[in-house]
Amino acid sequence: MQASSGMLTKFESKSSRAKGIAFHPKRPWILVSLHSSTIQLWDYRMGTLIDRFEEHDGPVRGIDFHKTQPLFVSGGDDYKIKVWSYQTRRCLFTLNGHLDYVRTVFFHHELPWIISSSDDQTIRIWNWQNRSLICTMTGHNHYVMCAQFHPKDDLVVSASLDQSVRVWDISGLRKKHSAPTSMSFEDQVARSNAQQTDMFGNTDAMVKFVLEGHDRGVNWVAFHPTAPHIVSAGDDRLVKLWRFSETKAWEVDTCRGHFQNASGCLFHPHQDLILSCGEDKTIRVWDSQKRTAVQSFKRENDRFWVIAAHPEINLFAAGHDNGVMVFKLERERPASTVHQNTLFFITKEKHVRSYDFQKNAESPTLLSLKRLGSAWVPPRTLSYNPAERSVLVTSPAEGGSYELINLPRDGSGALDATDSKRGQGNSAIFVARNRFAVLNTTTQTVDIKDLSNNTARSFKPPVGTTDIYFGGTGNLLIITPTAVHLYDIQQKKSIAELAVNGVKYVVWSNDGLHAALLSKHNVTIVTKALEQVSTLHETIRIKSATWDDAGVLLYSTLNHIKYTLMNGDNGIVRTLDQTVYLVKVKGRNVYCLDRSAKPKVLHIDPTEYRFKLSLVKRNYEEMLHIIRTSSLVGQSIISYLQKKGYPEIALQFVQDPSTRFELAIECGNLDVAVEMAKELDRPKLWTRLGTEALAHGNHQFVEMAYQKLKQFDKLSFLYLSTGDHSKLARMAKIAEHRGDFTARFQNALYLNEVEDRIQMFKEVDLYPLAYMTAKAHGLEDECQSILEATGVTEDQLTLPKFGELLPTPKPIVPTFKANWPTKAASQSFFEKALAGQLEGLSLEDEPAATNGAEDGALAEEDATVKRNGALEVDDDEDAAGWDMGDDIVPEADNDFVNVESTDAGGAASSEADLWARNSPIAADHVAAGSFESAMNLLNRQVGAVNFAPLKPRFMEIYSATKTYLPASAGLPPLVNYVRRTLDETDPRKVLPIIPRDLENLASNDLQQGYDSMRSNRLEDGARIFRGILHAILANAVSSESEVAEAKKLITSASEYTVAMSIELARRALGTPDVVNGNPDLLKRSLELSAYFTIPKIEVPHRQLALLNAMNLAFRSRNLSSALSFANRILANGGAARILESAKKMKAQCERNPHDAVEIEYDQFAEFDICAASHTPIYSGTSYEECAFDGSKYHSKYKGTVCVVCQVCEVGKHGSGLRLFA
Amino acid sequence: MDPYSAEGELINIHNFFHQGQYQEVIDFDITSLSPENEVPARVLIQRARIALGQAEDVLADVQDETSEPEFAAVAALAQLALGQTEDAVQAIEELAQTAGDNQTVQVLGGIVLQAADKSDEALALLSKHSGSLDAITLITQIHLQQNRTDLAVKEVTAARRWAQDSLLVNLAESWVGLRVGGEKYQQAFYVFEELAQAPATSSIVTLVSQAVCELHLGRVEEAQSALEQAMQKQPDYADAIAEPSGPNNHYRQGCYRAY
Repeated sequence: MQASSGMLTKFESKSSRAKGIAFHPKRPWILVSLHSSTIQLWDYRMGTLIDRFEEHDGPVRGIDFHKTQPLFVSGGDDYKIKVWSYQTRRCLFTLNGHLDYVRTVFFHHELPWIISSSDDQTIRIWNWQNRSLICTMTGHNHYVMCAQFHPKDDLVVSASLDQSVRVWDISGLRKKHSAPTSMSFEDQVARSNAQQTDMFGNTDAMVKFVLEGHDRGVNWVAFHPTAPHIVSAGDDRLVKLWRFSETKAWEVDTCRGHFQNASGCLFHPHQDLILSCGEDKTIRVWDSQKRTAVQSFKRENDRFWVIAAHPEINLFAAGHDNGVMVFKLERERPASTVHQNTLFFITKEKHVRSYDFQKNAESPTLLSLKRLGSAWVPPRTLSYNPAERSVLVTSPAEGGSYELINLPRDGSGALDATDSKRGQGNSAIFVARNRFAVLNTTTQTVDIKDLSNNTARSFKPPVGTTDIYFGGTGNLLIITPTAVHLYDIQQKKSIAELAVNGVKYVVWSNDGLHAALLSKHNVTIVTKALEQVSTLHETIRIKSATWDDAGVLLYSTLNHIKYTLMNGDNGIVRTLDQTVYLVKVKGRNVYCLDRSAKPKVLHIDPTEYRFKLSLVKRNYEEMLHIIRTSSLVGQSIISYLQKKGYPEIALQFVQDPSTRFELAIECGNLDVAVEMAKELDRPKLWTRLGTEALAHGNHQFVEMAYQKLKQFDKLSFLYLSTGDHSKLARMAKIAEHRGDFTARFQNALYLNEVEDRIQMFKEVDLYPLAYMTAKAHGLEDECQSILEATGVTEDQLTLPKFGELLPTPKPIVPTFKANWPTKAASQSFFEKALAGQLEGLSLEDEPAATNGAEDGALAEEDATVKRNGALEVDDDEDAAGWDMGDDIVPEADNDFVNVESTDAGGAASSEADLWARNSPIAADHVAAGSFESAMNLLNRQVGAVNFAPLKPRFMEIYSATKTYLPASAGLPPLVNYVRRTLDETDPRKVLPIIPRDLENLASNDLQQGYDSMRSNRLEDGARIFRGILHAILANAVSSESEVAEAKKLITSASEYTVAMSIELARRALGTPDVVNGNPDLLKRSLELSAYFTIPKIEVPHRQLALLNAMNLAFRSRNLSSALSFANRILANGGAARILESAKKMKAQCERNPHDAVEIEYDQFAEFDICAASHTPIYSGTSYEECAFDGSKYHSKYKGTVCVVCQVCEVGKHGSGLRLFA
Repeated sequence: MDPYSAEGELINIHNFFHQGQYQEVIDFDITSLSPENEVPARVLIQRARIALGQAEDVLADVQDETSEPEFAAVAALAQLALGQTEDAVQAIEELAQTAGDNQTVQVLGGIVLQAADKSDEALALLSKHSGSLDAITLITQIHLQQNRTDLAVKEVTAARRWAQDSLLVNLAESWVGLRVGGEKYQQAFYVFEELAQAPATSSIVTLVSQAVCELHLGRVEEAQSALEQAMQKQPDYADAIAEPSGPNNHYRQGCYRAY
């Protein structure tokens, strides 16, 4: 069909001539009555025929749905009015009375009435509840073509071929038929007297107005839904607008345009529009205020007979010679575009507004587009250019036009667009900062224009191009009905093509790497190079889509929000009660525009797709988090996991034992399988478990399964093969008890119990065999006794030759003692985490870890010696430290291309030099390459003397503040300086960026440090915490409050460093054997373990230190100390397992709270630990501090280099570290 | 007509060169060019080869043509690239005397002199140009290297007036913008992003430039991804390109470590 601008066909049916149409008020259904006597019920959304009703004889012209009941009514040329139930799909009853064709039938909006008009020149009102005729309205003197109730008042309007339109008052009828509660006899008399009767004495319905003006018969008439207006359409090809008041009615205006009989007309339910249709094969839309034609739509061959409007939503239907069409007058999709955190959209009033996702706030009108296009045609698209803060709006009016408008800087008030640039085109989008592309579909050209609307270049797109979209920088996505092309603007050629049908919209992911191509029923995800990633089909129309930050596409259909992952997995996120257009998703919020162009926020539960996404990405930590924090259950997720090959994860969700068993078997988790088998205790399960366990080589579970199944033979053989003789012997006993001789024989064989075998043979009277056995084993006495018992002599027997005796079967490995090396259980990180095994440094692995550390003690000791050595050297070489620093500078400069030294001639100083001038912060001087002044500053501020450890940090800062921009080929790149003052251009205020700022340190390094504490990697931990100290020493913050944070971080890192070095010193004392053998070492070891609990580290970590100290003390029978540690653990609270062992310990120690080894640790005294000597500094005694990290030292260490930060001089007081200018 | 203008014959090869798409320059079909444009095109090709580290081959190729000032200048540039700075400077100084009006001599001479730390001489030679954008961008760059942002701004603003939307003006303006900072960072970013993200104009040079802008804008992760794109793009050229953009590798490590 030739789409006249704006009108959108949503559904078309093919049938014989359609004479009547009715929309269902709620469901997407439409009833169509046909000239061929059939009534069809269609789902216009799905495009399916739901039902057919064929009881009328001849054409059916009138049809209507009941507003609330599952009923509809029809009237036809068989003079009959039929009332149907669409639930039971039957005609309920027929109303007879009309004497000619029935033209229209309508339900009353609240009373149980039906109004019908007929060629018998009457209008009749029926009560469908008692199935009676309650009123016959006469007056027309030709066929009555149409009669309708007023939507609120007690009025009826009718149209007739007698060229008149009549308005009837039916209030009398309502009074008569409403319950006679308050009406006395007198009232009734008064009423009947007061009202004049018509010529037939009928007072129920009276003609109120007769509207004359049409020159021919009138085919249709309709009330305005709210205003006192009437519209009528007649064979004089006119559509007339009438108006009425209480007392009179008059013609307002005429809409001329139809060039054949006008057959139907109605008022638009929400807008000031009139729609009409006619036998001239057109549907016309009129402005009801100005009575001018707004648009028209023509069909080639089909005359239109009827038109209807949906009561709620913006849908219309028209019936013609070959079926019906359901259509919209205009697109309801509001034009919108998203830039970062802002949505720009155009309201129904054609105002451009923005909406801030972060503030959840809608802006006032930025711009009014009233003048753009025709009043009734909303703009189609909006493209935003952040560089110029301008918008490009396209409108389908006038064959397509675009307008380029700058948004006012301080957008406020409904400003009319000034200095806009416009032109003809169907699509227009920004393709670059200063370029936009315009597609003209009629001429099939794409023009690339600059911001002054001049065409910079122009090219012919692939044949049949319908739309263009942004295709990544410098590219366009060109849409044709069957394919999408990626078109390079510069080279003017298509660089990729993908065959996708009917793409309507393109939605780019936030990172610009993927795009979703939306068709009516398909979503195709492609990469930016137009390679297809996945595609999916929806039976319901797809309306819009948006990407979340993780690369999940959320799309909306008419009634759902759904998601799809890159791999094509999809599902429903939530249902919608009205159609919305998604624009952005952030966390649990989906932002969208509804059909009235209002921004809305919908809440969704993203758990399911996030879970699936993390599954796809194997991000188990994320999954774990989701499982722990959300209620993610349900059969669907389990079967999804199972289907995707993750039974071990599915296992975590399932409660049902039999499902758990199946999953456990599938993923080889025998422990769970056994647990479940025990719970269910069914032979079938045990059999499967046995087989599975055997395959795993887990003979203990095999044994259990066989025992449960009472499979004695198998059990015996299992014991034989695992070499478990004692159990085999027991099996023999059991066999004896059971009297199962075969089994007994087997077991005796396995055990090589000759006597038992003989005994058994005797018992079953198999004396020959018993004799043979005895003979073969050389048991002559036994032979004799058998002979005696049987009364046979040796001579009577002929014996075969004996072979070698069977040795006792013996497995090579006594497997029963331990399991076979079983197949490595596929315990993923995930399972472990779920099983709660990730909390490191548990009691069990503590000794192991300690041993490991002590093995390496020697190396550690070396390191300590070295460090001490270094310390001494540093003592002597205070000045040398400075020399070292000086060395760095030229070296650093050599590393880089010699740019700074090009300061020849008219050169000025570089920005880096400015930094040093602009800032009193050491880090800024480092960034400027002025290491010497930086070191001077640090020396003054915190008494820093030894700069060797700071070298990596200095280099880090120095190199991170420069970028090298490749400029002209052949010349060295341009050096630029990265600023932390991003918006600053005043050279006197610019400051460099300092890598690893406070936040970064707190969220990365600090956590790593904690991790190493938890997982008992103390060497790493000490290194990390020192690194934090060094990073803060040369750093800059942005506010005073951050200075306080930095101080906190320094203190914390310092405490950890001290704590860890105490424990490392303890481990360096020697292996436990060595230490236990030497009383001095033992004493020191116990002391150090006690001191380890003193630094102010995080409580969970202190618990570990306390646990360590408690266990050590207990092992050395220092029960009093152990008790005090246990008490402290209990006071701290926390992890149940630690508390449990502390409780036990406490109970044990309380029996005899004495220390076996005297140590220098007073649990009741207040003291700090000297960081250098690891001995207590009791409160009250004098001490020295490191001016930077605050670690404490005995006075004698004054002047040495702080062992914690390894940079500053102990006891030297400076002006304090400056981090904030 | 200016062969470098939007409709000129050399627009594409010229743009390729300045976008750092050296291989595209070399592969450019120059047989269909009109005769007067052939020499500039060949000069561009030789420069691209030098940029890709084929200076020795270039030197051998142009040996016979040094009578032409253009190719003599190319030879000097090749010598510079090979580290024979003194020879190169000497050759250029001679050329400046004899053929100082030749555009190619100005531009290549400017590069050689500047590379040899003779900024004043370079500026003197370049200032003889008559409306050459190549020369203007070089002048801009030299000013920037001298930290004379003020002069660079002046130069670009003047060029902007008559060469509205040329690639070179955009580039030079962005270079200056990265020095000035503030809002200009974002504008420079738009320019480089536009070049780097369009497959037709994307190159290591433009990608690295984009990354640099992102760094200045404090968007480290985005910068990282741009650099990764650059690494992916032509790993085999990494060495060749390493000369002009070498320190970037260094920077890259620095920034990886830093964050």
